[in-house]
Amino acid sequence: MNWDMTTIAVSLLLLAPLAGGGLSLLLTSSRRLHLTNLVSIGLLAAAEAAVMRTVLHEGRVTAFDEIVYIDALSSVILFIIGTVGLACSLYMRSYMDEQVARGVIAAKRLNLFFFLFHMFILAMVVATIANSLGVQWVAIEATTLATTFLIAFWRRRESLEAGWKYLILCSVGISLALFGVVLMYYSSLRVLGDVSSALNITQLQQVALQLDPHILKLAFVFLFVGYGTKAGLAPMHSWLPDAYTEAPAPVAAMLAGVLETVAVYAILRSRGIVDQAVSPDFTGTLLAVFGLISFALAAFFLLIQHNYKRLFAYSSIEQMGLAMVGFGVGGPVGNFGGLFHLINHAFAKSLAFFAAGNIHRRFKTVEMDRVQGVMGVLPWSALALTVAGFALAAAPPFALFASEFQIISALGSSGLPSEWTTSGATLPVVVLLLCSLVAFAGFLYRLTGMIWGTAAQDVPHGEPWSVGHIPTVVLGSLLVGFCWILPPPLQKLLEAASLFLSGR
Amino acid sequence: MITAHIATQLVDFGSALLLLTCFAIVAQRRLSACVDLFALQSLFLAMTAVLVAYFTGIRHIYYAAALTVLVKVLIIPRVLKRVIERLNVTRELVMNVNVPASLLISGALVMVAFFITQPIIPFGHLLTRDSLAIALAIVLIGFFTMIARQKAVTQLIAFLVMENGLFLGATAATYGMPLIVELGVFFDVLVAALIAGIYTNRLQDAFDSVDTTHLSELKE
Amino acid sequence: MMSNHPIALAVALSIGQAVFLLALSPFVVGLIRKVKARFQCRRGAGLFQPYADLLKLFRKQPVVSTTASWIFTVTPYIVFASTLTAGLLVPMFASQMPLNFAGNIIALVYLFALGTFFLILAGLDAGSAFGGMGSSREAIVASLTEPAMIMSIFAIALTAGSTNLSTIVHRTALLEGIVTDPSPHVMALAALFIVALAETGRVPVDNPATHLELTMIHEAMVLEYSGRYLALVEWASAMKLLVFLTLIANVFAPWGIATAVTPAALAIGLAVYGVKICGLAVVIGTLECMFAKLRLFRLTDLLGVAFILALLGLLFFYILRG
Repeated sequence: MNWDMTTIAVSLLLLAPLAGGGLSLLLTSSRRLHLTNLVSIGLLAAAEAAVMRTVLHEGRVTAFDEIVYIDALSSVILFIIGTVGLACSLYMRSYMDEQVARGVIAAKRLNLFFFLFHMFILAMVVATIANSLGVQWVAIEATTLATTFLIAFWRRRESLEAGWKYLILCSVGISLALFGVVLMYYSSLRVLGDVSSALNITQLQQVALQLDPHILKLAFVFLFVGYGTKAGLAPMHSWLPDAYTEAPAPVAAMLAGVLETVAVYAILRSRGIVDQAVSPDFTGTLLAVFGLISFALAAFFLLIQHNYKRLFAYSSIEQMGLAMVGFGVGGPVGNFGGLFHLINHAFAKSLAFFAAGNIHRRFKTVEMDRVQGVMGVLPWSALALTVAGFALAAAPPFALFASEFQIISALGSSGLPSEWTTSGATLPVVVLLLCSLVAFAGFLYRLTGMIWGTAAQDVPHGEPWSVGHIPTVVLGSLLVGFCWILPPPLQKLLEAASLFLSGR
Repeated sequence: MITAHIATQLVDFGSALLLLTCFAIVAQRRLSACVDLFALQSLFLAMTAVLVAYFTGIRHIYYAAALTVLVKVLIIPRVLKRVIERLNVTRELVMNVNVPASLLISGALVMVAFFITQPIIPFGHLLTRDSLAIALAIVLIGFFTMIARQKAVTQLIAFLVMENGLFLGATAATYGMPLIVELGVFFDVLVAALIAGIYTNRLQDAFDSVDTTHLSELKE
Repeated sequence: MMSNHPIALAVALSIGQAVFLLALSPFVVGLIRKVKARFQCRRGAGLFQPYADLLKLFRKQPVVSTTASWIFTVTPYIVFASTLTAGLLVPMFASQMPLNFAGNIIALVYLFALGTFFLILAGLDAGSAFGGMGSSREAIVASLTEPAMIMSIFAIALTAGSTNLSTIVHRTALLEGIVTDPSPHVMALAALFIVALAETGRVPVDNPATHLELTMIHEAMVLEYSGRYLALVEWASAMKLLVFLTLIANVFAPWGIATAVTPAALAIGLAVYGVKICGLAVVIGTLECMFAKLRLFRLTDLLGVAFILALLGLLFFYILRG
């Protein structure tokens, strides 16, 4: 009975976005499109909840002859996909209709938007639950293809440019990851033989100790560079600010909140295999060093931004870098902090992009200097922006403070992994703290300038309550709430996932 | 034993031909010639795959080879030719790195590829002596060409060359990936090429050029 | 090996090869022209037209510029002699050449270089603007091809473990004592093919069929020659083409060549050799129809490819052995 329930839930995970996308292509009326969207994403979220429950009880779920493999780690990612996806769907209810009404998007292209949106979600779900590393690669490349047109949906010169950069850089990066997958298969072939399951996570985890460490190291480097491009780690991050600025707000929220997380998941997945055969310090050093570089680089780039969407984009690079440091340092605390940070970042960043989307629609500019007095014009969005801004700057009453604290304390207690360097814990902690101070100052300085002051005369005032405000309120309260108490199931899930990542 | 030896030689020969076309693409400025060379390279790739399939007796590599011919020798070059015709660009005049320097760098990349794969080659199967290294070299050269060229179409070809290298690596080193992965990869590559084709058209409409140096409106 | 043959046989073989070289080379030129004509939907001149051309030129009285020095009149003989000597070093239909004690690839390269050097001097010597232009261009091409040529030949020499052409060909034909990895061979073959096109002045480096002053290289250099001098230069360049084709055919695919001096083996060797050379000539003719001549400043691209490929061929050998 229970087994059947799980199978149904897993098939629903795949069928909901697939059917939703297919239906969207057939529909034309905006109301029906939104309804389909909400129903399918709602079903997806419900299925995820069911799967999570099973994972909590049984530790892992495999379905369809081991094609699907879900453990605590993938459940955490599924949780993020479901929550942010649902939030975006609600937000789109008001956002897209207004875009159509203003004539920015032709009404008949709306179904294309929803189709691509569903394919995007489907690809991410597949990447998360696939047992085969090869299928995972295919799905992650598919996210690139689905989102390219979403980013360039406005068809302006800038959005075309951003879309092209995104397509080229991510496809190239991801090609390198495919070489990593090939190498992984090469190493497992000699142990498992030429069977199609030789790329399966379940199989690889069992035989990881017999795999050749040289090949695994090389494979991991390629996988890390490839998926790291997708996660927006420096120095392969240059597509990210452009894409986030030009993408419609809900798409930017999905890109920043979920897609990056899925890319990080792919890295962690292969790390779980490589770490068994190679000393964890090797992968840990790679993650921590590149995480630290991304964090520091983005913190300083934050200061020179004039465009609030770019500001959030650089903040994404920064937060991903921080999460990577957490995973790199490892141990139960570091991994827990990293995963928790991924969740919090997804929430805060989608909240930020929702607010940014509202402001952009009203003020018709993305220049920070020309946006003033949001508090008077859009009180709800101003509140959301404040919450998101403080949360992303990791100020105390918000959950990102808790996760950042965990990561830094993990770094402080065990120091950077020492594959190449023998540095102590002090220097990286000091660098991290200094950079987060810089980011904090930059963020607050910029955002207060936007929120207070008086708006120009021609900007209409007032913000009536709409469906689109539900997700902002929910996400905002979650961000505050998670700082004090985690729901017990989520807590248990995160603990199980971090134990898995710590190799126990 | 003798047949195994000959098999190795033939597969290596095929890989070397792929590398050769790779250099030709690096040195070629005319876009349509680049497309032709890419089609030729894909044909060599399919040939190599058929050889591997024949000597190992693994059925599904034949499918992969057939798909290569269909997708990379027939469909994609035709799409690219149409794009080039519509765009009215015939050759790459200014490059970020000129041809002789590109050639030298590509040569160096081949060396790098050999030295990277050196530690793992002795573990290889009988059929693959240096195919894996050549595959990596092709990937790296494609990557470099992407940086060195400015036209959107050439960048696309460079990306496809990278894919060819990857596929060679998968075929020669691991006798092909599991079939579902291979199908997925083909699907992705095809869609990526089509999307990029549509994109170049839109870029042309928006910028009156497909020179990617014109893509400079988004700055820090 | 040489000592196995009676002296008479050795002399006979050498003379046979020389006669063969002299007799066959105009035919190859004619064959390429015929192939090109056919591709261009023309009937083209007969296959033996080059013989008639040479005969005609030998009958004409040469005209020599009053400003030209002795170099101008000596050059055709030097070029002819050096090319013929080079041809004798390359095994054509029998792998064990009588002159194999001298059949060193370095000697071959320098014999060609000697001819090129004198041609360049002669082009300058006549004092005409075209000659000087042709000479300077030829010097550019030669300086770019020489390294590629030496390296590609070395790559092959390394795989066979000898710099002696006869030994290389002999061992490759018998598949003994050589490294049979195809990668160095493929790279070196591609490099040598480009070098051959450049050295013999074929499309896409030079166009032997045109006398358009903007593009010509070899033809500009020998523009001042007439009569028997021109005949010698033309004949020498035909031989150079044949020698290069022989080099490519026999170093990379020597199978069929006579590895022992018996009448049957020699007959088979001759027949196979004829087929190989004709095949290569057809390939070159086809290529000349497919490609346009490159601009002079783009030549570095093509010859750069040859250089890098040859270098890689050389390095592959060390990597694969190391």
